[in-house]
Amino acid sequence: MASDTHPPHPSIRQYWRIAALLAVLTAIEVALFYIDNALELGAVNVALLLILAVLKFVIVVGWYMHLRFERPLLNRFFAAGLIMALGLYGVVLAAMGILAIRGN
Amino acid sequence: MAEAVHPESHGHAEHESTGVDSRKLGMWLFLSSEFLFFGALITNYLLYSNRTGFNIYPREVYDIPFTSVSSFVLLMSSLTMVLAHNAVSRDDQPQARTWLFATAALGSVFLAGQVFEFTEFIVHYDMKLTTNPVASAFYVLTGFHGLHVAIGVFMLLSLWGISRFKGRLSEEKGMNVEMVGLYWHFVDIIWIVIFTVVYLIDAARV
Repeated sequence: MASDTHPPHPSIRQYWRIAALLAVLTAIEVALFYIDNALELGAVNVALLLILAVLKFVIVVGWYMHLRFERPLLNRFFAAGLIMALGLYGVVLAAMGILAIRGN
Repeated sequence: MAEAVHPESHGHAEHESTGVDSRKLGMWLFLSSEFLFFGALITNYLLYSNRTGFNIYPREVYDIPFTSVSSFVLLMSSLTMVLAHNAVSRDDQPQARTWLFATAALGSVFLAGQVFEFTEFIVHYDMKLTTNPVASAFYVLTGFHGLHVAIGVFMLLSLWGISRFKGRLSEEKGMNVEMVGLYWHFVDIIWIVIFTVVYLIDAARV
């Protein structure tokens, strides 16, 4: 069993650096909200906010939940739930979104 | 039967054919299923927030600066949680207790913020659970997330209590810290999604 080949978890210093990065990303998100209020970025704002959220999500899951240091099996389980949810509700939103517009 | 010891498994062997502790495997499966639970609630909110004709929408009453601070607090609680886990793996019991308590405290601050937010919405804007479907969707989504945070705070304080009054967090309890940590970080990533999709993006439409 090749279980001892996993890289070591981050050091305490690295955990603090990751926290600082997460704080900066959150600050950018909030700043974007105000920039959008002034400049009305519209779809660009939504895209940027989603990218920042995905970045934060990946950082927390990968480094704080240590998923990038775990066995592939756990990665697959986690990804399966995430992909199923995104797929299922993506379809629901697409379908119901159209219905909602027609209903109005 | 395969028997492997992962560097972060706190020394106890993993008597599983997968090489993964069954508790850890179960926790990841549970968290994976939670995506479907919160996905349904977020989808429900998005569907109703896109409908017109309601007398009030949550996006009209959001206090983004306040929620941003709450989000920051919850994000930083993930740092204290991972520091607690790190301290347990180094068998540094006092540090582990400190970080566990700090995580519970930050979680409690987040919950207090949510109670304040709900109170503001109900008292000042008359937006109650039964006011309209979009308000219901908002309260159910954020309320269930708050419930998850409350359960996490309870588990953290239980671990802290075990460590404080029943001696050190043993190797076995070390795994418990890891389990609670996974749960806590998951609550955080769900909030990352809620804060962006339900608050920031929705509020930008006002």
